[in-house]
Amino acid sequence: MQQQPQAQPSPSPKPKKKIRVPRVVNGVEQMVEIEVDADAGPGWGPNDKHKLLNHRMTRVDGPLKVSGAARYTYDQRLPGMLYARILRSPHAHARVTKIDLEAASKIPGVKGIIPAPLMEVRFAGAPVAAVAATTPEIADDAVRAIKVSYEVLPHVVHAHMAIRPDAPKVIAEENNLQEKGKNGDPEKAEAAFANADAIVEGEYITQRIHHACLETHGMVVDYRGGDSATIYASTQGTFTIPADAAKELELPESAVTASVEHMGGGFGSKFGIGLEGFLACRLSKQTKSPVKLMFTRYDEFVMAGNRSGSWQKLKAGVKNDGTIVAMKATQYRLGGLGPGSQAGQPYIYRMGDTYREVYALHTNEDSSVAMRAPGHPQASFAVESLVDELAYKIKMDPVAFRKKNLRDEVYHRQLERGAQEIGWSRRNPVAGGNPGPLKRGMGCAIGIWGGGGNDQCKVAVTISRDGSVLVAVGTQDLGTGTRTYTRAIVAEELGLTIKDVKERIGNSKLGAANPSGGSTTAASLSPSVKDAAIKARMLVAERVAPLLGNPKPEEVVFADGKVSAKGQSLTWQQAAAALPAAGITSHGEWRADLQARGVHGVCFAEVEVDVETGHVKPIKMVHIQDGGLPLNRLTMESQINGGMIQSLGMTLWEGRVMDAQLGMMLNPGFGDYKLPGSLEMPEMVPIIDDDDKREAVIGIAEGCIIPAGGALANAVFNATGVRVRELPITPDKILMGLMNTTVLSRG
Amino acid sequence: MKAFEWSSPASVNEAVKMLTVASHGDIDEAPRPIAGGQDLLTTMKDYTSRPTRLVNLKNIPGLNRITLNAHGLTIGALVTLTELEEHAGVRKSFPGLAEAAHSIATPQIRNLGTVGGNLCQRPRCWYFRLEEVICLKKGGSECYAANGENKYNAILGGGPSFIVHPSDLAPMLVALDATVTVVGAAGKRVIPLDKFFTLPSEGNIRRENVLKNEEIITEIHLPESPLAARSTYLKFKERESLDFALASAAVAVKLEGNRSVSAARIVLGGVAPIPWRVPAAEKFLIGKNLTPEVLAETAKIALADAKPLEKNAYKVPLAQTLVRRALAKVGSV
Amino acid sequence: MTKSRDDREAQKQTDHDPGRRRFLKGVGIVGAGAAIADHLWIEAEAEQEAKTQQPLSGNVKVVLDVNGQQREAQVEPRTTLLNTLRNHLDPAVTGPKLVCDMGTCGACTVLLDGKPVYSCLVLAVDATNKKITTVEGLGTPENPNAVQAAFVENDALMCGFCTPGFVTTISAYLKKNPNPSLAEVREACKGNFCRCGTYPRVFEAALAAAKGSQA
Repeated sequence: MQQQPQAQPSPSPKPKKKIRVPRVVNGVEQMVEIEVDADAGPGWGPNDKHKLLNHRMTRVDGPLKVSGAARYTYDQRLPGMLYARILRSPHAHARVTKIDLEAASKIPGVKGIIPAPLMEVRFAGAPVAAVAATTPEIADDAVRAIKVSYEVLPHVVHAHMAIRPDAPKVIAEENNLQEKGKNGDPEKAEAAFANADAIVEGEYITQRIHHACLETHGMVVDYRGGDSATIYASTQGTFTIPADAAKELELPESAVTASVEHMGGGFGSKFGIGLEGFLACRLSKQTKSPVKLMFTRYDEFVMAGNRSGSWQKLKAGVKNDGTIVAMKATQYRLGGLGPGSQAGQPYIYRMGDTYREVYALHTNEDSSVAMRAPGHPQASFAVESLVDELAYKIKMDPVAFRKKNLRDEVYHRQLERGAQEIGWSRRNPVAGGNPGPLKRGMGCAIGIWGGGGNDQCKVAVTISRDGSVLVAVGTQDLGTGTRTYTRAIVAEELGLTIKDVKERIGNSKLGAANPSGGSTTAASLSPSVKDAAIKARMLVAERVAPLLGNPKPEEVVFADGKVSAKGQSLTWQQAAAALPAAGITSHGEWRADLQARGVHGVCFAEVEVDVETGHVKPIKMVHIQDGGLPLNRLTMESQINGGMIQSLGMTLWEGRVMDAQLGMMLNPGFGDYKLPGSLEMPEMVPIIDDDDKREAVIGIAEGCIIPAGGALANAVFNATGVRVRELPITPDKILMGLMNTTVLSRG
Repeated sequence: MKAFEWSSPASVNEAVKMLTVASHGDIDEAPRPIAGGQDLLTTMKDYTSRPTRLVNLKNIPGLNRITLNAHGLTIGALVTLTELEEHAGVRKSFPGLAEAAHSIATPQIRNLGTVGGNLCQRPRCWYFRLEEVICLKKGGSECYAANGENKYNAILGGGPSFIVHPSDLAPMLVALDATVTVVGAAGKRVIPLDKFFTLPSEGNIRRENVLKNEEIITEIHLPESPLAARSTYLKFKERESLDFALASAAVAVKLEGNRSVSAARIVLGGVAPIPWRVPAAEKFLIGKNLTPEVLAETAKIALADAKPLEKNAYKVPLAQTLVRRALAKVGSV
Repeated sequence: MTKSRDDREAQKQTDHDPGRRRFLKGVGIVGAGAAIADHLWIEAEAEQEAKTQQPLSGNVKVVLDVNGQQREAQVEPRTTLLNTLRNHLDPAVTGPKLVCDMGTCGACTVLLDGKPVYSCLVLAVDATNKKITTVEGLGTPENPNAVQAAFVENDALMCGFCTPGFVTTISAYLKKNPNPSLAEVREACKGNFCRCGTYPRVFEAALAAAKGSQA
C-alpha cells in the first residue's frame, strides 16, 4: 500500500561550510553545528516579489476538514478492531501490591488485558492496567472490574507544601527541591540595589495548564500477528513512531509504518509513541487484532502532560530615570515528577547586575511536557509584571520604560506599532483611575523565540508526463498549514497555481522529516521543498531546452502556467510532455541559507474589569510578529490569533486544580477546566511585521503565544490598581484584591 | 456508563410503576427517569449515578406544553429550555424566567434539556463529580470541599455538605412562587418549590430535593402575579460562554404608583445548597423606593448570614452586587 | 414564615383534598382543581394513544435516519448517538468528533430534527424516529454549503477537529436567523470550543456565509 522510499541520489562532493543552527528535542532548543553547501543556490528573493508565497492562500485541506471528510487517527476504524481503555490509579502515591484480573477477563467482549508490573505509582491517574474489548463501553466495564490492591504512601501535590523540609518525599531518598543552576554574582546584585531609587519585590505564580488537544493522545495499531504493522498516530512526529512501536511489536523498524493524515492538535505534547502507543502495541500484540487506544478526556488531563507551573520570587531595583540596575530571581519549576521548564530571568530585559537561582520542585503529579514555547510564557508573565510594577513605581510610561531597558531596535519598532494599534494614548496612566464600576485598562509585553530549522527533511518532487506534480515528504500538518505552503512553494517555483500541485505527507515511508516542535517545521521543511522544486525546475528546463532554442536551463522562465525562453513559449502540458516516460523526480535537501532564527513579538491588550464582580472582559488584543518571509499570510495570521487566544486562556481561566488531601486533579473535564469560548473573545488584531526584511523562513508559532499573558495582567492592573501575581486572574482574586486594597487604603 | 435497561412508557402512571422497584442497591443505582438527559447522562458517564433502568418520559404525551392564562403559567416538565426562553408569553409576562432559561449552558443543551430536568440536576461540586471520590453525598463520610478546594461552594446554608444547587430556573421559579406537581406511587403532590429543595442538614444527604425515587415531576405552575412583570435573573459566570453560576440573583418586585415597593422576592442562586430566599431583605424593601442607598442596604442584609469557607469569601461582594443590580434593573422597567 | 409561603400551604392542602379525587383511565391520580391550571398531561393522555415500547437491554437493533438514509446498527441502550455514528454504522460517520464526551465542547454537534444537539449526550435508542443531520449531510468537499465554503475562504479552521461542530451549529443557526449580528453569532456558537484559536475567523465566516446566502 505504501510507496517504497525513493533511492536517494548519492551526494556529489561539493564545497561545504559550517553553520550553527537550533535543534529542538521535545521542545527544548539546543544549538548544533552542521555542514551546508557553501554554494547554496538561488534564494527566495525579496519578500514582496512572490506570486504565491507571502499571499493569502486558503488551506488545501480546508474542504476536507469543513465537510467531515478529513480522516483523523480518532476516525480510523478497521475490521476486527478492539477499543482500549486504561485503569488509572486513584492514589497520588502508592505501591501496587496486587492486580486481580479475573472478573474483568470474564466479561464477554473483553479480548486482552495488560496489568502494570507491581510498582510504585507516583501520581493519581498513573496507568495500572489496560483493556481491549469489542466496544469502548465493554472496555469501560472491564477496567472497573479489575481489582487493584494498593499500599497507600504519603503524597504532596502543592508546591508550597512540597518545599517544606518535613514534606512527604515524592521520590524516596531524593529531595523534592533540586537545584538546577545559579547565574551571576549574588553579592554584586545585592550591592547594586543600593543604587536604586525604587525597588519592587514580588512572587509570581503560573499555574499548570493543559494542552487540551481536542483530539486526545492516541493510536490505532494495525497489527494482526503478521510481519508488518501500520500505526495511525495522533502525533507531531511521524518519524518518532516506528522505532518504538517496532520494539513493542517485536518487528523490524522497517516493517512498521506510521501514518498521520490529519491530527487534532498537539501543542508540544505529542512526540513518540508515549504511554498510549506502548499500551496499544502491547494489546495489539496480545490479541493479534488492530487496537484503538485513544485517551479519554479524563486520561488526557491526568496523564498526557501539561505546561509546567512556576513560582518565581523576583526583586528588581530601578533608578528614577528608568534604568533597571539590579535583579535577583529565585525560580521554582513546577513540573510534577519531571524537571519542568522555565526560561531564565531577566528574560530579554537589561537589568544591570543580576543573579538567579533555579530549582525544580517536585510534587506527586504527572510530569510536565513541552508546551508551545516551553518555559517562556511563565518567564514572560513574571518579568513583564515586574517591569510594569517598576514603571508604575517611578511613574514612567510602561512603553517608554520598556524601550529604555531594551537594546534591540525591533522591540522598539514593534512597541511603537502596537501602541498605535491599541490606542495607547487613550490609556489612563493612573491605575484604577477610570470612573465607574466598568474600568478599562491597557498593558503590553514582549517575547522572544528561535524558530530556526534543522537538517532533517528530505523532499521529493515528481513531475509526470501528464503534467501532474506531486510533492512528497513524511512530515505532518498539525493544522499550521504545512500542506498548503508545501504545495505553494513548488507551484510558485514551477509557475503553476496551487491546484496544479498535489502533496503527500504524514507517512513514515515518505521522505524523512523533523518532528514539529519549537516552531521548527516551516524553517526545516520549506528549504527542502524549495530545493527540490528548484531542482525539478532545472530538470524540466534541461528537457525542454531543445524545444525553446536551447537556452541555458537557468534562462528558462516558469510563469503563469507557461515555460518560456528566447521569445518562445510552451504550455505546462507541452513542457511536461517532453519529459521521459517515467517523468522526473528531484530530491530536496535542507539549506540553511533559506531559513533563519530569532523572532521577537509584542502584544498589547485592552481589558474592561467590572470591579463589582471581578469579571475581566478582554476588549482588544494586538500582536505584532516578525518571521522573515511569511509563507502564507492567511494561515500565519490564524496562528498569531491562536497564540493570543491560548495565552488569553492561560491568563484568565485555565488551570489545573489539585486537592491536597486526595492528591487528585479536581477538574479533569472541559466543564471545569475552562477553555475560553466564543463569548470570551476580544477584537483580535494579528499583525505580520513586514519591516522584517529577512528573505528567510522562520517559525512563529511559539513567538506569538508568549507575551499576551503579561500584556493582559498589566492591563488588569492598569484598569483596577490590583496586581494579581498568580494566574489565572479570576474574579475571586480581583474581588479579594480590591477588598485588600480598600482595607489598606483605609489604613 | 454502566449498562441499563431502557423503557419508554406511554403514561405517567406506567412510568411511576417502572421506577418502583422492590429494592435496589445503593440509592444511586435505583431506576431513574430520563427526559432531556443533559445532566443525568453526565452523572452516569462519571459513574456518580449507576441506574439499572432508565425510564424515558418523552413518550408520554402532553408533558411538553406551556399554558398561559388568567390563572398563571403552567409549564410541562418536558418543555425544553429553548422552548421556555423563546415562548412569547413567557418573555412578555415572566421576563425573569425567560432570562433564567436563556442563561443556562449552551444552545445545544437547551435544545434537549428540560424544565423538570433542570430542577433535578445534581450538584457540580468537583468532589461529587469525580468517580474516585466517595464524598458525603455519595454515601461517604466526609465533605471534602469543607476544608478543600471550595472556591465554588456554599456560603449560605452549608453543612455538613457544602454543595451549591446548580439550577438557574430554581431561584427564579421560587421568586415567582412556583409550585411543582409531582406524581409517585402514592399519587400526586403539589409542592411549593421552596419546599421542594432540601438542605443537606434537613433532607436526605444523598439528594437535593424531596422527590422519592419513583416520583416524577409532571409540571410547574406559576400563579398570575404582579411580581412577574418586574422580574429579572442575573447570573454571574466565571466563563460567560459556558458555566454554572458563581452567584446569581432572582429578583421580582411590585411597585406602587409612587414607585415604592409593595412586594418583593429576592432569591440567590449559586451560593447555597438550595435556592436561597432572603425574607429579611425582602421585608426591608417594603414601603421603600429603590434608591442606591436602599439597594446597598438590601444587598447587605441579603448576605448578612453568609459564612464563607476558606476560598469563597469573594462570593459575598459578588452576590451583593447582583442583588443591587437586579433590583436596579427591575426598578427601572 | 412569609405570607406567600402560607398561601401555598393552603393550596397544597386543597390539592390533596380526597374529595376532589378523580380517576382517569383507571389510573389513580389526583386531578386538577379549577383554581390551578389544567394538568396538561392528563388531558393529553386522554386525547392520545401513546404506545408503551418494549423495554430494551443488551444488544438491540436501532434504525437511524442519518443524512436522509436509513441506517441500522446493533448497540446497547447505553451507546450514545455519537458512538453509534462513529463505531457502529458501516460505513462510519466520523464527521462529529468525540472530544469531551460530556456535553461541554460541541465537537460532536449534530442536528436532531434540525436543532443542534450534542450527540454525546443523546442515546442512540432515543434518536430513532428523528432526522439526524451530521456535517457530512450539509455539504461535501466538492459541493460545500455556504458555511463550509466560508470557513475555507476565511481560514476559520486550523487543526480542524472542532470544525465539523462549528459548521453544524452555525449552519443550523443561519436557517433560524439568516441575518445575524456578530453578537448573535457569538451567542449561537458559545457551546462550541476550539483549542487552536480560530474564533475570530469562525465569526467572520459565519457572517460572510450569511451575507453570501442573501446575495
